Amino acid sequence: MRNSLNARWRRWINRRIPRADSQTLSQKNIFILPTAAGVVYGLLLLVMLITGINYQNSLIYLLTFILGALFVGAMHQTHRNLSGLSVALVRPGEGRAGDDIPFVLRVTAGKYPGLGLSLSVEDSSVESVHVSPGESRDVVLPVPSAHRGYLRPDRIRIETRFPFGLLKAWSWLRPSSAGVAFPRPLPAPDAAGTVQDGSEAASSAPLAGQDNADLRPWREGDMSQRVMWKRFARTGQMIVADWQGEQGSPHWLDFQAFPGVDAELRLSYLAWMVADRVQKNARFGLSLPGDTIEPDSGSLHGERCLRALAVWGEQPPRDPDGQPFGTRQAENAKAGVSG
Amino acid sequence: MRLTIARVFSAKPAEQAPIEAIPGNALLWLIASFALLLVPQWDRLPWWLIAACAVLASWRWLAQKGRVKLPGRLLRTGIMVTLIGVYAATVQGRFTVDTAASFFVLAVGLKWLETRSARDFYVLFFIQVYLAAVNFLFKQDIAWALLTFAAIGCLMVGLQILNAPDLPGSLRAGWKRLGVLLLKTLPVVVLLFVFFPRMAPLWSVPLVSGQARSGISDTMRPGDISNLAQSSERAFRVTFGGESPPYRERYWRGLILDYLDDETWRQSDPDGFRRPARVDNDGGVGPLRSNEYDILLEPTDQRWAFALDNSVAVSGNVVSTPEDLFRFQRPADSPVRYRLARVSAVPAPAEVLSPAETRRYLQLPPSGNPRARELARELSQDLSHWEVVNTLLRRFREQAYFYTLRPPTMPDDGVDALLFDEKRGFCAHYAGAATFVFRAAGIPARIVVGYQGGDAGAGGDYLIVRQYDAHAWVEVWLEGQGWVRVDPTAAIAPSRIESGLRDAVADEGSFLENDLTSPQRYGDVAILQWASLQLDRINYHWQRWVVGYQGQSQMDLMSRLPGNFGLKELGYLTAGVVGFTLLIAGIVSALSIRRGARKDAFGRVVLAWHRLCEQVGVPVRTGETPATLAERLADARPEVESSARLFARAVNSHYYTASTQEASAHEARRLTRLLKTMKRQLRRKPEPASRTFRHD
Repeated sequence: MRNSLNARWRRWINRRIPRADSQTLSQKNIFILPTAAGVVYGLLLLVMLITGINYQNSLIYLLTFILGALFVGAMHQTHRNLSGLSVALVRPGEGRAGDDIPFVLRVTAGKYPGLGLSLSVEDSSVESVHVSPGESRDVVLPVPSAHRGYLRPDRIRIETRFPFGLLKAWSWLRPSSAGVAFPRPLPAPDAAGTVQDGSEAASSAPLAGQDNADLRPWREGDMSQRVMWKRFARTGQMIVADWQGEQGSPHWLDFQAFPGVDAELRLSYLAWMVADRVQKNARFGLSLPGDTIEPDSGSLHGERCLRALAVWGEQPPRDPDGQPFGTRQAENAKAGVSG
Repeated sequence: MRLTIARVFSAKPAEQAPIEAIPGNALLWLIASFALLLVPQWDRLPWWLIAACAVLASWRWLAQKGRVKLPGRLLRTGIMVTLIGVYAATVQGRFTVDTAASFFVLAVGLKWLETRSARDFYVLFFIQVYLAAVNFLFKQDIAWALLTFAAIGCLMVGLQILNAPDLPGSLRAGWKRLGVLLLKTLPVVVLLFVFFPRMAPLWSVPLVSGQARSGISDTMRPGDISNLAQSSERAFRVTFGGESPPYRERYWRGLILDYLDDETWRQSDPDGFRRPARVDNDGGVGPLRSNEYDILLEPTDQRWAFALDNSVAVSGNVVSTPEDLFRFQRPADSPVRYRLARVSAVPAPAEVLSPAETRRYLQLPPSGNPRARELARELSQDLSHWEVVNTLLRRFREQAYFYTLRPPTMPDDGVDALLFDEKRGFCAHYAGAATFVFRAAGIPARIVVGYQGGDAGAGGDYLIVRQYDAHAWVEVWLEGQGWVRVDPTAAIAPSRIESGLRDAVADEGSFLENDLTSPQRYGDVAILQWASLQLDRINYHWQRWVVGYQGQSQMDLMSRLPGNFGLKELGYLTAGVVGFTLLIAGIVSALSIRRGARKDAFGRVVLAWHRLCEQVGVPVRTGETPATLAERLADARPEVESSARLFARAVNSHYYTASTQEASAHEARRLTRLLKTMKRQLRRKPEPASRTFRHD
């Protein structure tokens, strides 16, 4: 019963707030309710009214009416803090699984200032954001991630209680873009022996040795020893041969290098190795089933590899039922259902 | 909802929460408000309580500044137990609103020491708001009311700072926001105030405090009234329907003292005990008729209602007694308005005094004051009652009797000392002595205590009677005439009766000599006098029309409006006012949203374009980009091909580049032009031609 009500409520909200990376708040998608303090305030006014009646005290009546009117005025004011505001997900974050991953949101005020805003997702929040009329501010909101893969909170809540904290107005942004949580790096058991360790790899590497040369035009940064000078003399083209297994270093980081190890664990090993190579500024390529990244070096390359590791075997989140994706809450919900 | 409750009223942070959870500025406003709220209660609260509150609030402030620490649980409990103990000792089990209000103040004071989180802040906010309401129970003057409302303003500003502590310029903006909110909601407040039905009290709790009020008392010892003469506090204010009577006729009778007990005059028949409850505030309705007058009495905690001679009650909240006095049903614990009418002359009571009454009004102590008794015997030997009275008055007038605010002490046989030795005294002395002599001479006599005089307020629309107008005089019973007023003071110091105490003691310079702050003391400084009267006028109207706007006066106002409003109709009307206001607010906000939509000129032009497409038979598909729509339009109507493409490109470039306001206005104008071109092109080609084209 409760669940079905919840689901209906959720569906109703999802209808009003379509999934989009940016959302302009208006009458249609702003919700407003008294806070707990607001409820107590209402009760207090009732008690004061009774006091006024009982003691036939006009000034208490007056005070009660003024405070009541202020409450209604505050409702308008609180609503206006959000009205016309647009919230956009500028950059979904990247980070290690299990960490809070920073999402960058841009809040742009319309005609009225957006005061005392707080943005929150699950149990993390950013408080006290103020935006002047017509201006915008970028807010970094940490989104708690549960595991590697795509990370997309179902709803990012934007709320205000300004001016008196007696009412809260809120709305949601339901982002369509997802951030990425990299696998958590774990030191690989024997990092150097990647190629030699596995039986398949060990047997294939020497064979591949001379035959499996990769020929490609010269690029800046290639070592002169590797240029095929003979060919250059013949054709005038600088061609470089990339020899597999050259220099004896693990040139390729291979998913297949850890036979019998759980896939997630392999990804964690690989993530560690990627970080390690990037730190050593080594050249490396990444070979995943269904996805290969050519050898290169540098931090951008490293990020590209981590991203590939992160989303390997994962589907980008799609909307239909509007569930959070990859956040801690999503994980808890799943655990709750299965347990 | 759950989540937010958890956040604002988070579980139990009391002990651990750091003090910084509350921004210092917000706290400062809360403390300021507390201080303002205590000011109107300064004379009601025991001094130790005010001192304790000041210490506790400053402690909290110093803790905020990091100078001291907030007390631990043990110390806090100790402080609490001590203060509550002192309170209990002071109160001694009396339960009235007054004691309850004091306890409330104590509770606020103690709360300061455990204000750590936002939740505590709200708790303090709520109790301070209620404290403001409690203030209104005791003080309703406009100055106190304004002060209390200012305190509420401080609270509201404090809340704003609490909710956005780091907002730059939040203080000024906060006051401004509050002011704007108040102004916007003012009409609703006024309507609610006027139309909200004033119901009868649901139950009644006495408001009486043990605090002594200045005013006349029900016993009279020589010198009592001269203490009162040093006070310029207001006793009551009177508005006359017609002409106000001349000064010397302004005798406001309050109560009768008819029993002499040694040196002290008392009431032989004190007002019977009444269960203390609230005084009935309904002081009559409608404009005053020419013989009516309306009195707004300051609280006295007594049942006496002051009235002129020959008056009858008009409003229902006063009743008359056999002695032609007026009484409230309940002690006047708050300002109360009542209305009386003067009748030309109450016909002299034909009946004589009953033996019991005669005994009562001839009562004297068995011994004392032999010389006065001797004088009485001499006078009564061969003179009629009326002549005795006149002879005594002549004696007062002709011999060297003085009216003074600095009478000598006359401990034993006071009447003798006054009449034969000192010959200096105050109205109470002379009234007491005269009554003594009359009674000794066999004339039934009684002392009347009340006020005599009253000065015009600003604009002359009402009289102000002050405590220094307190007076005592004599009434004697004369056969065939009934009770007749005899005022010995009038014989000794006519100026007291003709123009008031100030002139009567002008030579002595003793007028309000102990009350340096009273504006009345400086009657010769015109500007001071003027300002004080203006202030009083504002307050008077405030009391009459705002504070006194209760049941009957509401009905009175309603009866002047067209339509026949009863309490029930008022209820409907109030609901109507609230509903109507909400409706108006809804309409206004909807309109402003519509206006906002209309302001987006760009979107409007695009919509117009969509309409145009629909008109020429190209339905707009959802999710279609402007470019594809333009292509489809061009397919259907090739004559607009170029302009449609231009249009689509402009739309695209608007949506996908960040454009400033002027740029977007410019683009919108361009789009409008393009749209016009399209329309023109469509019109130029005759319909059939295009249809032929489509068939190709």
